[in-house]
Amino acid sequence: MMTEADYYALFEAYSNGELAGPARANLEARLAADPALALRYADFTEMTGTLRAYGQRQQTRQQLRGIHAAMLAADAPEEIALPATGLTHTVNPMLRISRTERKLREFWSGHRATVGVAASVAVMAVFATLLGLDLWKTSNLPVPASYQALRRDINNLKHNQKVLNSTIKRIDGSATPPLAPVSKFSGTGFALTSEGYLVTSYHVIQGADSLLIEGRNHQRYHAEPVYSDVKHDLAILRITDKKFNGFGRLPYAVKSGQADLGERVFTLGYPREDVVYGEGSLSARSGFEGDTAFYQVSIPVNPGNSGGPLLDERGNLIGVVSGRQNDAQSAAFATKSSYLVRLVDSLAAAKSATTYPYHLPRFGQLAGTGRPQQLKKLQDYVFVVKVFE
Amino acid sequence: MSRGNPTSSSLTPTDDALIAAIRGGDERALAHLYRLHWPMVSHFVLQNSGTEDDAQDVYQEGVMVFYEKVRDGSLELSCQIKTYLYAVCRRLWLKRLTSKSRFGVRLLDDEEHGPYLNTGAEEDLLAAEEQDRRFATMSEALNHLGEPCRSLLEGFYLLDKSMQDLTAEFGYTNADNAKNQKYKCLVRLKKLFFAHYKEEPI
Repeated sequence: MMTEADYYALFEAYSNGELAGPARANLEARLAADPALALRYADFTEMTGTLRAYGQRQQTRQQLRGIHAAMLAADAPEEIALPATGLTHTVNPMLRISRTERKLREFWSGHRATVGVAASVAVMAVFATLLGLDLWKTSNLPVPASYQALRRDINNLKHNQKVLNSTIKRIDGSATPPLAPVSKFSGTGFALTSEGYLVTSYHVIQGADSLLIEGRNHQRYHAEPVYSDVKHDLAILRITDKKFNGFGRLPYAVKSGQADLGERVFTLGYPREDVVYGEGSLSARSGFEGDTAFYQVSIPVNPGNSGGPLLDERGNLIGVVSGRQNDAQSAAFATKSSYLVRLVDSLAAAKSATTYPYHLPRFGQLAGTGRPQQLKKLQDYVFVVKVFE
Repeated sequence: MSRGNPTSSSLTPTDDALIAAIRGGDERALAHLYRLHWPMVSHFVLQNSGTEDDAQDVYQEGVMVFYEKVRDGSLELSCQIKTYLYAVCRRLWLKRLTSKSRFGVRLLDDEEHGPYLNTGAEEDLLAAEEQDRRFATMSEALNHLGEPCRSLLEGFYLLDKSMQDLTAEFGYTNADNAKNQKYKCLVRLKKLFFAHYKEEPI
């Protein structure tokens, strides 16, 4: 009885061609006749074949590794020259990467796209939330009773056209004309004293670089702010031109007391290029949100009316037009003239009053005349205040 | 696209010479081939979120497939070696990526239906995978075999040592003893090998 090992010895001899003729023929005959034996032989050849191929594969792998290493070495010959520096430990020019960093790098290279998408989504979500919150807040705010200060934004269109025309002319070959500065805002102002003091609203001249006062017949003066009262929205200007020699006697008086409810009042102003008259009555003795420094009047006013004089029927100055309430019908506000008087008094008591004294007009000349006559006299003392920034 | 694409199927004379040299066992030819196409594959793998090490693994695997086919004489090359290697390595890397990634993988290929689809690399790779599985099982079986059988068989089959050397190395009294021992080891190996190999699904 042959053991399996004996068979293997036989098979090996057979596949190596070491069997002699008769033994070989005998085995071949048995292989053909006995399927079990044939199977055993097949297993044997498969196993030894696999073993040899496995060995071969390992050799090849080794060889390829060698080739790769040789290739890398050939690519970087300067790395080999390094140990000549005489250092005790080996110099490794390769970057040492810690295990954590390697993991991080692998993670990064694997999930770069995902991380990028996530980050942008996060950023977008943050901004969308902020924006949404903001919108939500503003939409939920109770609409405030809105106060509008009435200074007028100058429409730049005309000016632009002029500049364009001058540019075209310049291209035509004529000399370069200096560009006129653009006036940004305008309001109304009126004479306070005959010496050249004017009054307007503070918000008209707010942030002004220079001021230009323009009268009805296009006489122009430069002016400078002398004093501003932010709280009562008043500003006092002084004309600085050397040629200027006074307004002459003012036709209206400044009332230092309070006006009465229901008094017929009117104003002159420059909400557009031409002077505009507006009429109404004094509807309340307090202003926006109960501010007692202001009157409420029922005069239709527009941006540009700011700083205009508010006069009563006898032609006394009782206020300075300042603003209006947007969500109420024809509710305009004017600073009470008593605050103006108080302001002038305090200024007169202070410095510089000696050089430029304040003489408020005490007596009006308008009482008893008809409204058109009053206006004719008045309009020479009402000016456009142009503000340059 | 037909397999007989004239541009992709033409073998350059250097390719022919290389294959002949490699079949003849010329190590320098293999090294030359290896060096020639390494930049292409390394570039490809690095472009597709792989590392230098990945590229080396994939490339060596690919060259191995090619080399074994050449040595067998079973290589039927219908395109340039370059294209063949590219196709094999591309396929290998794709497999690794899909096994690594949770998501679907798309490779950055300039040519989606390029000539590498008709190289026959797919079939060769399937065969190579089967071979890999066989080798893995063999390695496993050898590991379970225990000493000295394992060293004896490895010495004889893997390292091509002669029976005489092994007799001396393992201290057998004569070569016949060693041979008998070897056969016994083979029997044990056979049981281990086929037990593992056959039970795994193909």
